[in-house]
Amino acid sequence: MDTNTIDYKKERVAYYKVLIGLLLLTAVTFIQPHLFMTESTFLAQMSIAVVKAWLIIMYYMHLKGDSLIGVMGIFSLFIVATFMVIILGFDVPNFQYGTESHITGPASAGVEHATPAHH
Amino acid sequence: MSHEYIPEIATDRDGNKHEVQGWQDDFYGGKLGFWLFMFTEVLMFGAMFLVLAYYNTLHPHEFIEASASLNRLLGGINTVILLVSALTMGLSLLKMRVGDVKGAKLMIWATILLAIAFLVIKGFEWRAEYNHGIFLLHGEMLPESGMAFGKKLFFGMYFTMTGIHGFHIIIGIGLMIWLLKRINAGKVTPEHHILHWNIALYWDIVHLIWVFVFPYYYMIGAGGVTGGH
Repeated sequence: MDTNTIDYKKERVAYYKVLIGLLLLTAVTFIQPHLFMTESTFLAQMSIAVVKAWLIIMYYMHLKGDSLIGVMGIFSLFIVATFMVIILGFDVPNFQYGTESHITGPASAGVEHATPAHH
Repeated sequence: MSHEYIPEIATDRDGNKHEVQGWQDDFYGGKLGFWLFMFTEVLMFGAMFLVLAYYNTLHPHEFIEASASLNRLLGGINTVILLVSALTMGLSLLKMRVGDVKGAKLMIWATILLAIAFLVIKGFEWRAEYNHGIFLLHGEMLPESGMAFGKKLFFGMYFTMTGIHGFHIIIGIGLMIWLLKRINAGKVTPEHHILHWNIALYWDIVHLIWVFVFPYYYMIGAGGVTGGH
């Protein structure tokens, strides 16, 4: 693969365009909690982060058009996502040692402790 | 000293000489290998985000309260610094590929300076938190303190993940200095720049991790305690 066959001007312009996009999305990150989806800040913030990540991966990490590494990346994220779904969706709500666990259990003496809330 | 490939020669039992296949110019192989390494980074940070999400489901309100107490201005400045550093690193690679070695080196130096600025700001932030009694195994974070348990989990993960991320930044600075040495020695050239390519990829993944770390820690509490999940 000859990586030197490039159009310098075109690639440099692409870098700056992506920079402007990322800066705009960073600005949206700051104003979002006061402007839109104010009751779903977490979801909104993570959605913006995913768009930023996509721009970085495709244009800064040159993954656009590289299907082999792209598929490997999706597989890698799929493994993480699968474990997240299993643990947060099935394991946590059915945790059988909730009352004994140091993390989920009731507060020990002198320590303020919120009641665990499972979602 | 130029980057010159000297093939290895193997001799068979009849005394015939054969050139051993060399992979020094296997650009795609070098890139693929580095991507495999980066997937292990994704799995490592993915596991930490999993732990964070688990704790978050247990203590959603305390997570929002703890997040609201972080310094968003400093976190935001660091976000922009990393963003610009990703550009300078990308431009350094671009300049190397078109043969502008001096310009490439300048851009690498700019990236190093931005990385140091990131660490300095992070240091100020951590010092302020330490002075408020919030640090690992210190003050409010001790088991006997009155801080809500969910907040202890939040700050524990915050220091762990931003600490590991900061460690990656330090490694990145070291790699960039090594890259400059290799360029000066003529080992990395416009024709042989896989090392430059992979270090630029490394810097991008350091940036990528921060893209998720920043909103999860600094922004989920930005809307106040009413900010939902």
